[in-house]
Amino acid sequence: MDFKFAEKEEKLRDEVRKFAISEMRGKQVVSGMEEESRDEDWEFSMQMSKKLAQKGWLTMAWPREYGGRDASFFEQHVYINEASYWGIPGSTMGVSGIGWVGPSLMIFGNEEQRKKYIPPIAAGDPDGVWCTAYSEPNAGSDFANIQTRAIKNGDEYILNGQKIWTSCAHRARWCWLAVRTDPAVTKKQHGISLIILDMKSPGITINPIVNYAGIHIFNELFFDNVRVPVANLVGTENRGWYHLMQSLAFERHSIAPQFYGMAQRSLEFIVDYCKVTQYNGKQLAADPLVRHKLAERAIELDMLKMFGYEITWKMSKGVIPIYEAARNKAYCDYVMQRLATTGTDVIGAYAQVDIRSKWSKIKGNITRLYMMFPGLSVAAGTDEVQKNIVGQFKLGLPRSY
Amino acid sequence: MDFDFNEQQNMLKTMARDFLSKECTKARVHELDKDEKGYDPDMLAKMAELGWTGLIFPEQYGGTGADLLDLVVLMEEMGRNILPGPFFSTVALCAIPIIKYATPTQKAKYLPPIANGQAIWSLALTERSGRFEPSEIHCSANYDGKNYLINGEKWFSQYAHVADYLLVVCRTGEAKRNGDDLTVFIVKAKSRGIKMELIPTIAGDGQCRLRFTNVKVSKRDILGKVGKGWKVVDYLMQRAIVLKCAEVSGACQAVMDMTQAYAKDRVQFDKPIGAFMAIQHKLVDMLTDVEGLQYLVYYAAWLLSTGAKADMPVSVAKARANEVYQRVCIDGIKIHGAIGFTMDHDIGCYFRRVKAAEFMLGDTDLHLEKVALGIGL
Repeated sequence: MDFKFAEKEEKLRDEVRKFAISEMRGKQVVSGMEEESRDEDWEFSMQMSKKLAQKGWLTMAWPREYGGRDASFFEQHVYINEASYWGIPGSTMGVSGIGWVGPSLMIFGNEEQRKKYIPPIAAGDPDGVWCTAYSEPNAGSDFANIQTRAIKNGDEYILNGQKIWTSCAHRARWCWLAVRTDPAVTKKQHGISLIILDMKSPGITINPIVNYAGIHIFNELFFDNVRVPVANLVGTENRGWYHLMQSLAFERHSIAPQFYGMAQRSLEFIVDYCKVTQYNGKQLAADPLVRHKLAERAIELDMLKMFGYEITWKMSKGVIPIYEAARNKAYCDYVMQRLATTGTDVIGAYAQVDIRSKWSKIKGNITRLYMMFPGLSVAAGTDEVQKNIVGQFKLGLPRSY
Repeated sequence: MDFDFNEQQNMLKTMARDFLSKECTKARVHELDKDEKGYDPDMLAKMAELGWTGLIFPEQYGGTGADLLDLVVLMEEMGRNILPGPFFSTVALCAIPIIKYATPTQKAKYLPPIANGQAIWSLALTERSGRFEPSEIHCSANYDGKNYLINGEKWFSQYAHVADYLLVVCRTGEAKRNGDDLTVFIVKAKSRGIKMELIPTIAGDGQCRLRFTNVKVSKRDILGKVGKGWKVVDYLMQRAIVLKCAEVSGACQAVMDMTQAYAKDRVQFDKPIGAFMAIQHKLVDMLTDVEGLQYLVYYAAWLLSTGAKADMPVSVAKARANEVYQRVCIDGIKIHGAIGFTMDHDIGCYFRRVKAAEFMLGDTDLHLEKVALGIGL
């Protein structure tokens, strides 16, 4: 047993840290896709994507022929963790392209698709920005229920229907789209296909969905006879569900180190705040209640850290984790909620001050975390869905839904 | 980074699981819980033969020179089977500081009998308050020019009633802060002036109250240096905490396993109860806690075995172990329903040990405070 990172992993951590300090210049920590909202944030984010690509980090997990550097799972772990700790925007570039579009195309895309779509992602170009449209009004946790139709007409598909909760659609050049190509199936997982959609196609309407914090991440998409070349089908027609299940594997190991980085930084902010804040004639840091609450949060973070190490180690051994990612996601949600609410307890009435106000505490970071965590916990599968996965696939219990 | 046990550890794990599931059955545990000695001398002798009591001793003292992580593997299995008896108090609480702080003469005298399974030891540290801070030590040892005379009380000394030797932590000076002027003495358990009483506990795990009246101890029987006793205690506590946590982690795994099996087996409303989301999600939370605890324990043990400073990870593990053991037992009992509430069911054996584990070597508050220090508060 050994819990040390290798020397080259530590060196990478150091490089990312130096990069973050020099490039971020005191910019705010971004928790979860907030950079998609305002134009100036998005512009900065894309500049960072470009720089990260030049450093060879943006798609480091990918093979060299696709613009990556065959980085090990542990190198990816360190990079993701560190980038998230510093809140470097642009490291996910709207999530989809780096997260699963590229890797999926490498596995079940064709040569033409790979040549066309992968290089802009690896280069950190605006043409490499993707969104993913899976969810629909009646297909959330029950995703296989999707109804958006693609009817083949010669060498084109004609799309009609509606998608929702599509983050980054207003920034994306392309959309990674799941549609129903065969409605006459006995099992609803059949008859789904994956299609690449050019976001400039006529017939697409994008409606922003602004979240309760005033941030624009989500969108509604409407398709009104949108025409897509058949050549944009990815993999095998009607096998989309199975391709998709496979592609979900690509982000499995990144959840814990990403959340851990963000949470660790937030905890440090809170600790620092406690040391410089006086209450009742003494430092907040001297209050036993505060000390114990924060110690509990630190313990939870340590556990999350270990879960992150574990899944990365398993993947490095060639094991495909199944329940571990679901466990980690559910636990991340729990940890973030506890941290965000403890953080607001600590800053007290200032927790309600707008994050950009001159009166906000800790540069608005705790308030931001507090406003964002419920959304992050729903994204990519609610904790209930995650726990169902663990119950079925790890504990061998019957399906509970 | 590597989460795997090495070959030797895997062998030890298999051997321990085989031996304990055969020798330390739950029926036997139930008997020993009610037995005044509280352990099975034959079983202890067999464990000594297997090399467990001397596992981490240097070879010259009859051991096999294994490290803390190896002992963690063993403790996890002991926890899984809830092995009753003085193994922990002898090896974790007493032999570990002897290996580190004893003189060569003391080691040669005291370690081989432990390795052979012939000697039982008990740590006499906590007093009336049951707490683990140096300020709580009042038991005194005054030098009369020839010997030290120990006077005072010790509480919750495990298996002192069957022990051959005690490690007694005494105040040998006036300073009450930072553990200055505390000294650890090696004392024969049958010395004149020691009165022992068993404290009836819910686990029946052989905890004793000791009263010392002018108990004579020679200078030669000091472990470590005079006035530097808390250093010895601190050293043993860190390691013993990790081992206690490993034991708890094993116990939690066992409770998890039996509850998972029950949820698959028990049918109500025409379904196994594990098919109901309320039950299933509770089990998933238990699993998350159990796996997390396991990794935190390995991490702390690994750090200590590399010689690194591990104050915070050790306290993280203990605070977590205290909480998880209790929660897993309570949820486990609830999922079992009424049957989990009976003397005959195994889950109660685990639940009865929750408080003993929790208050041994520092309660949750004490360790949370150490974690708070660790994060810079």
